Amino acid sequence: MKRPGGILVIYKYLDQLTDAMVAMRGRSDFKDNEVFSPTSYHEIEEALDAGPSQVRWFTLAGALTGTLTGFGLGLWVDYDWPQVVGGKLPGLYSVPAYVILGFELTILFGGLMTILGMLVMCRIPNPKQRILDVRFTDDKFGIFVPNVAIDGEQARLLQQFGAEEIRQIESE
Amino acid sequence: MSDEVKWNRTISDVNDGILANLGKPHPSYYLAWGMAIIFVIIGAYNWGQELALGVGITGKTSPVYWGVLITDFVFWVGIGHAGTLISAILFLFRAKWRNTVNRSAEAMTVFAVITAGLFPLIHMGRFWFGAYWIPPLPNTNNLWANYRSPLAWDVFAISTYLTVSLLFWYMGMVPDLASIRDRMKGLRRGIYGVLSFGWRGTAKQWHHYEAGYGFLAALATPLVLSVHSIVSWDFAMSLQPGWHTTIFPPYFVAGAILSGCAMVYTLLVPVRTMFRMEEFIRPEHLEACIKLTLLTSSIVFYAYAIEFFVAWYSGNTYEWAVFEKRAIGGYAFYFWVMVFCNCIFPLIWWSKRMRNNVAVSMFVSVLVNVGMWFERYNIIVSSLVEDFLPGSWGHFQPSLGDIGLSIGSFGWFMFWFLIFCRYFPIVSMSELKLIMPKPLSKKH
Repeated sequence: MKRPGGILVIYKYLDQLTDAMVAMRGRSDFKDNEVFSPTSYHEIEEALDAGPSQVRWFTLAGALTGTLTGFGLGLWVDYDWPQVVGGKLPGLYSVPAYVILGFELTILFGGLMTILGMLVMCRIPNPKQRILDVRFTDDKFGIFVPNVAIDGEQARLLQQFGAEEIRQIESE
Repeated sequence: MSDEVKWNRTISDVNDGILANLGKPHPSYYLAWGMAIIFVIIGAYNWGQELALGVGITGKTSPVYWGVLITDFVFWVGIGHAGTLISAILFLFRAKWRNTVNRSAEAMTVFAVITAGLFPLIHMGRFWFGAYWIPPLPNTNNLWANYRSPLAWDVFAISTYLTVSLLFWYMGMVPDLASIRDRMKGLRRGIYGVLSFGWRGTAKQWHHYEAGYGFLAALATPLVLSVHSIVSWDFAMSLQPGWHTTIFPPYFVAGAILSGCAMVYTLLVPVRTMFRMEEFIRPEHLEACIKLTLLTSSIVFYAYAIEFFVAWYSGNTYEWAVFEKRAIGGYAFYFWVMVFCNCIFPLIWWSKRMRNNVAVSMFVSVLVNVGMWFERYNIIVSSLVEDFLPGSWGHFQPSLGDIGLSIGSFGWFMFWFLIFCRYFPIVSMSELKLIMPKPLSKKH
């Protein structure tokens, strides 16, 4: 798939980035922009205003599947090979013992699905991702706006928040 | 607490400072690695002996069927507790100091649980005949494992704990691996590129990442408390005097966290010096770790006292006989080492000056680990050695094979931990940046 060109604006400070994000919000001429930061500042999350992450549904689905599997395994084994304890008739399932299996598999499946959810939502693994600037994993903040020119109005707007650097990215 | 930390560095110094470990290491690193390999060879030789000659090379004998190897198993699972406690529970409590120590504590957890997982297999001797019941599958007679047994629960608990701890550790490392990738060239860049899954650090990625991390922390929190509770049921669900007591789950969990925190300190102090991280792992962070160790030591002290009180107050002569034997009988040495190392020596940490004295705290942390090993030995051996048939009573001594296998486990653990210290970020860089002063422009 062809990757679009655009402008990359680099900021040194967190507040410059968040001010720029607020200015871009809801504007159609900044469509599909990407914001980069070295870590997960809550200020960025607030400026992003993305609503709750969909990862939670993966976690819930995994956890419920785990609970059912844990209790199901215990009950199935009791049914398949009844162990008569204390003269009690087969078919009297000792459910409390299976709370452990249910609990452990809730955590296990919930954890695995959370990771899967995170990978799916973050669109990784993808080792061929385009790395626009190596400083974003160090100490710099940035905004990439696709399909706009460096001498356009969008570039002028983003620069006024104190951009340290601004450059054109070619499509590839 | 760490709001008061006086940082001499900014977030721009973090990557250079933390990734110094990827350069040429201090000569002491190679020395430690060489020692670890010698220990692994000692352990491997003894395991080979056991596989060739049988379990007789360990000290196990009727009625002590659980000897030093199960002691090692419980010890290493316990060590593994601090990592996920620090990374999950302290994350939910927003304890900022954990951001400097969580990565190495999580690595310690993963390698400690892998080490622990070997011991039930080593304990069985030729484990391919003995461990058929571990996977949840029926055997050829369609006979399933008994899921009412705490041993079967333990398989689920340990494997879930290992999996979730491993995921938590690796997931936390993905953004940092991307930082390494962006500093590297050539083949190394390619390798770290694959390891970091192509992480780019976009705001949307961070948004989902933070949500996933929070959910994983919420799932791991009850897991930490459950794992050693379930390990304690291996003992408490039996009718053995000295084991059959309801205090075991909280007592085991507190003991596990005590030994884990002491081990975090024992590992962190040399690593901090070896890779020159004093500016990032600050004295305040080390002190917080010691405070947690002191807290859990107090809980363990209380549990020891209550355990004795309950044994006496129950009026059960068999129960009391075990406790009498532990305190003033043939196992008094092990018992008093345990009491002094886990309860008395840590009292020195009530003094702030002593908490901040690295040499003293390091020494006491090592003593706590010795004490916690003796605690497990004391619980397992002294309860088993005198069963309900006085004819089989005797005195249990660890054999050379037991000692060799235990030494080997320390080497195996250190081997992996040192590899981690050499090629991976020892401190979580993305989380460290969060507790440092925010990079704000002058207008604020």
